[in-house]
Amino acid sequence: GVPAACPKLYGVLPRPCHALVLLNPQSGSGRALDDFQAVVQPMLAEADIATTVFVTERPHHAHEKVRDEDLSQWDTLVVMSGDGLLFEVVNGLMERPDWKEAMKKPLCILPGGSGNALAASINYYAGYDHVAKKKLLTNCTFILCKGLYTQMDLVSLSTASGKRFFSFLGFGWGFISDVDIDSEKYRWLGSARFTLGTLQCLAKLRVYQGPPRQPGPLPPDSLLVPLGQPVPAHWTVVPEEEFVLVYAIYQSHLGTNLLMAPAARLHDGCIHLFYMKAGISRVTLLKLFLAMSRGTHLDLNCPHLCYVPVRAFRLEPRVAAGIMTVDGEALACEPVQGQVHARLCRDGRSGKEEHDCPPPMASLAHGEEPCI
Amino acid sequence: ASQSAYKRFSELLPKEERENACSARVPKSQILTLPELRANPFQHRICHVFSTSETGDDSMSFEDFLDMLSVFSDSATSDIKSHYAFRIFDFDDDGILDRKDLEQLVNCLTGQGEESRLSSAEMEQLIQNILEESDIDKDGTINLSEFQHVVSRSPDFASSFKIVL
Repeated sequence: GVPAACPKLYGVLPRPCHALVLLNPQSGSGRALDDFQAVVQPMLAEADIATTVFVTERPHHAHEKVRDEDLSQWDTLVVMSGDGLLFEVVNGLMERPDWKEAMKKPLCILPGGSGNALAASINYYAGYDHVAKKKLLTNCTFILCKGLYTQMDLVSLSTASGKRFFSFLGFGWGFISDVDIDSEKYRWLGSARFTLGTLQCLAKLRVYQGPPRQPGPLPPDSLLVPLGQPVPAHWTVVPEEEFVLVYAIYQSHLGTNLLMAPAARLHDGCIHLFYMKAGISRVTLLKLFLAMSRGTHLDLNCPHLCYVPVRAFRLEPRVAAGIMTVDGEALACEPVQGQVHARLCRDGRSGKEEHDCPPPMASLAHGEEPCI
Repeated sequence: ASQSAYKRFSELLPKEERENACSARVPKSQILTLPELRANPFQHRICHVFSTSETGDDSMSFEDFLDMLSVFSDSATSDIKSHYAFRIFDFDDDGILDRKDLEQLVNCLTGQGEESRLSSAEMEQLIQNILEESDIDKDGTINLSEFQHVVSRSPDFASSFKIVL
């Protein structure tokens, strides 16, 4: 049943409910529209949710639509695609003059593409077993049918060149980002491309320089100072060294098979910062990725892998090398900083999270502690 | 290009044989002294695949040597490279990549030491992942067409499958 505690944390979709479904027909090896009609629509009809489908024709199409149009007739915006389309929708909404109101509209993700990390995370928070593909789609549709929604943290990312994004999944630099983007060329493979990309990248372990920095515990609001200025004095500066990857993730899953931050929650107010130091062997990296499918990678106590939960971070690469991604989308490589904005967004939940959550992991970084 | 290849090839022969380099065969042990192959985890398989030796000693003639350089050069297509990659990874030469081939492939990449091997559980998981993605007809093995289908679309494959003298 629905927990009585925290009544402000959730709302319920009205019935009957009008949903705008934004769908990329090419996602999921081109099956997204078929899956929507065959699997999703019947379930939604039973739950008294009427849908209008907006099929995107190009990148930015969804971004423009939610930015420019009157959305008042929709009770919820449903994205059926990979995480990239939701990224467009979130950032389109945040560009509206009335973004504060617009962001109160519940958003829903239905996995239609590859890169369904948010759907996998929501499935995990709901206490469902790890599933993929069609079962993941039906689980997420079920959550939408129940109509419960709660608030979700977003992370605001700013770059040296003046770009600003709102992100719901994660920011990466180095190895994993290379996998996100190298995979683009064979996106027809669906989610299979990420594992292949991982094996690919193993053959050429690149090294990136630039230390990430994170603030101390419980910082005040407005956590960031402009990128040109030094970080606030209470921030922790990770000792300068070479990194293979840096990944700041705010959900539990990096991909349907990668439980990167088991302790993460939709609104834990926390960025889970991982960084991996150079010198890690290929086989250790492979072992870490294999363990990540069960979320046990930190148990390997690899001295090259560091984890620390933070509220803000800044990353300044020494050289503009490697690839950066936000929510799986490519970014030019440049200094970036980000901070969490708690509960900025609304997203679906199953109603069982408080009772059925797995136990939280230890949140201390293993291996060397960054100097405090 | 074939000039310097000839020079490199004949340097692998004892001095007295260099005049007849065109018809000589270089033993595998000598081929493996080439810096480009010395650190390559698939050095033995490479020699084996390109050798036309009828005695099975994996020795290479100059023509074998040229074939090898040609396949690893920039001018070879992705299809040609993936065809030879498949043969190189087919450790038991039976025309199919089965679990044993995949295990050997992974062990080659991760190194030979005790510390650097995957546990049998990890190996099993990795092979499962590979098969899940590449084994289209779900017969538990990867044939040439499945291999080419997947690997040759990788944007990096052609550039990493390269040897330049």
